[in-house]
Amino acid sequence: MFETATQGIITGILMGAIYALIALGLSIVFGIMNVTNFAHGDFVMLSMYLSFAVGSALAWDAVATPLITAPLMFLFGIITYYLLIDRTLRQMYVVQLAVTVGLQILMRSAALIIWQAQPRALQYSFIQGNIQIGDFQILTSRLFSAVVSLIFIAGMAYFMNKTWAGRAMRAASDDLGAASLMGVNYHKTYALTFAIGSSITALAGGLVMSFQQTDPVGGIRFGLLSWAVLALAGLGSLPGLIVAGIIVGVVESLTVSFFDPRSRLLGVYAIFILVLWLRPRGLFGRR
Amino acid sequence: MNVKKFFNPRNILILFGVGIALVIPLIFKAGQYTMLLMTTVLLYAILASAWNIIGGMAGQLDLAAAAYLGLGAFTTGTLLIRWNITPWVGMIIGGLVATLLAMLIGFPLFGFKVKELWYALSSSALVVVMQSLFMMWNEVGGPTEKYLPVGTSPWYSLRFNDYMPYYYIMLIILVVVLLVNRWIRYSKLGYSLLALGEDEDAVEVLGVNSQSSKLKALAIYSFICGVVGGIFASIYGYVHPAFFDTSMSMEIAILGIVGGMGFIYGPALAAIVMVSFREVLRASLGSQLAGLYLAVYAIILIVVALYQPRGIAPLVERGIKKAQTYFVELTRGRRADIKSS
Repeated sequence: MFETATQGIITGILMGAIYALIALGLSIVFGIMNVTNFAHGDFVMLSMYLSFAVGSALAWDAVATPLITAPLMFLFGIITYYLLIDRTLRQMYVVQLAVTVGLQILMRSAALIIWQAQPRALQYSFIQGNIQIGDFQILTSRLFSAVVSLIFIAGMAYFMNKTWAGRAMRAASDDLGAASLMGVNYHKTYALTFAIGSSITALAGGLVMSFQQTDPVGGIRFGLLSWAVLALAGLGSLPGLIVAGIIVGVVESLTVSFFDPRSRLLGVYAIFILVLWLRPRGLFGRR
Repeated sequence: MNVKKFFNPRNILILFGVGIALVIPLIFKAGQYTMLLMTTVLLYAILASAWNIIGGMAGQLDLAAAAYLGLGAFTTGTLLIRWNITPWVGMIIGGLVATLLAMLIGFPLFGFKVKELWYALSSSALVVVMQSLFMMWNEVGGPTEKYLPVGTSPWYSLRFNDYMPYYYIMLIILVVVLLVNRWIRYSKLGYSLLALGEDEDAVEVLGVNSQSSKLKALAIYSFICGVVGGIFASIYGYVHPAFFDTSMSMEIAILGIVGGMGFIYGPALAAIVMVSFREVLRASLGSQLAGLYLAVYAIILIVVALYQPRGIAPLVERGIKKAQTYFVELTRGRRADIKSS
């Protein structure tokens, strides 16, 4: 009982760090541009497929694939922004929903056309194996992914606070009018923001591919998970994002180990709903 | 009733549409496949029109249509399989069960003022949750299909050999749902829903109880979805947790938006145009590449949403107005002729 719980918590914490990374991409896009990207989970799905394609074509390890997939997703983000998102900014809110849901259907069917319906996985990563601590096992690939995720989130915090591009992004989120007067071209800033958000999913996708397989409908789960993390964390706090990611990861992992693998999203849904009811700003949100 | 007033372009168009819908099955009598497709089109038209009440009028982006549809399907199916209760009763109970779930979720959600994006997300998640719950509940759901018995009388167990009866049942329900839409639109509830869809705080100040208005809209919407779910189960002849389909729920919301939010016939029109188009694509492209028809469909949805953000109903309205002025001028012109002679 105690051992199962501890094992579940360890797995949950490691997964949680990766969920925080996935939610980071969403948090940047939603927090800065106030754009609701319903297709975020499918960006992760697409990244995982790209990792698969690169990894199997060049015989690379999954964790190395973001070197190629991140620029690709950056490009994809810029194209998506100018083609679709930029045109929805001045429209009614529902137009954004319709367009991003349309994008979601498009990405899902594109994945189905290119890679067919069966799940795809890469060879086991070079960091395979376990670390044994007492009675508990830690999958090395997950530990590695979690550490990379945390380092990346820290780096992002530095970028947002210390560099001109990062400050321009935050300024645009605080007051779009004032930021444009200060010489911030919001189209460019938004395009950069969206592209960064989408290339973060490339990193996350590569990490997840080191221990998981991908299929065309996998985006639903990642989408729901990252919105739950974001709701829990609130906007504007990167440490909060990590804590929220870990809470979601632990809850998911404990539901799986104590209840039923098929119920993995039930616990996540429960916290999501409770947070919406009781604390709509999230636990660490500034607005 | 004034005969001349009744025969204005709008009513002629409506009568024309209903007439075609009534006659079409007789033309395509041979093709069962076509009948199923047209029944599916009507199903989407009903769901999109029901969505119009909560989404188009009340402005709540509900993405849980399939949660209520699936619950209605499972209620109807289980009642028939276990206790041999006719789906005619089952679908009403299914509608009520769906409404109960909607109230359980909606009461606290609206009470805590969850709205816009977060309402959309929580309703979308509800579909996923219902799917996992019914996947685990082996007595009722489970990973294998539970088949509905054919029984002795097709009218009792609502299991027909061809799709024609389903088509007409769906057509009747669609007309009823459109009338309900019309009735709500011009009632006190409709005016408060439209107002709170625009600005909730302002409406609250004016003394409208926005929570109870939204709950009423949600109740009507979820009831319709639940009832249709019962027929859905009968058409397919089984129930399965895959009925809780997130993509379908989203598609219904999109049809509502593309059709023109708040226009009574908009969502139904969008469903008829878009879903027919989707099925034609599926029939012509589906054999070559799985998923290609959905990609084309998605592109069209995006283009319509970007370039016609208010939906296709305003376009139709403009056309009708033009026809109306032309009509009036025509009759006036005739009168002028009579006077001058």
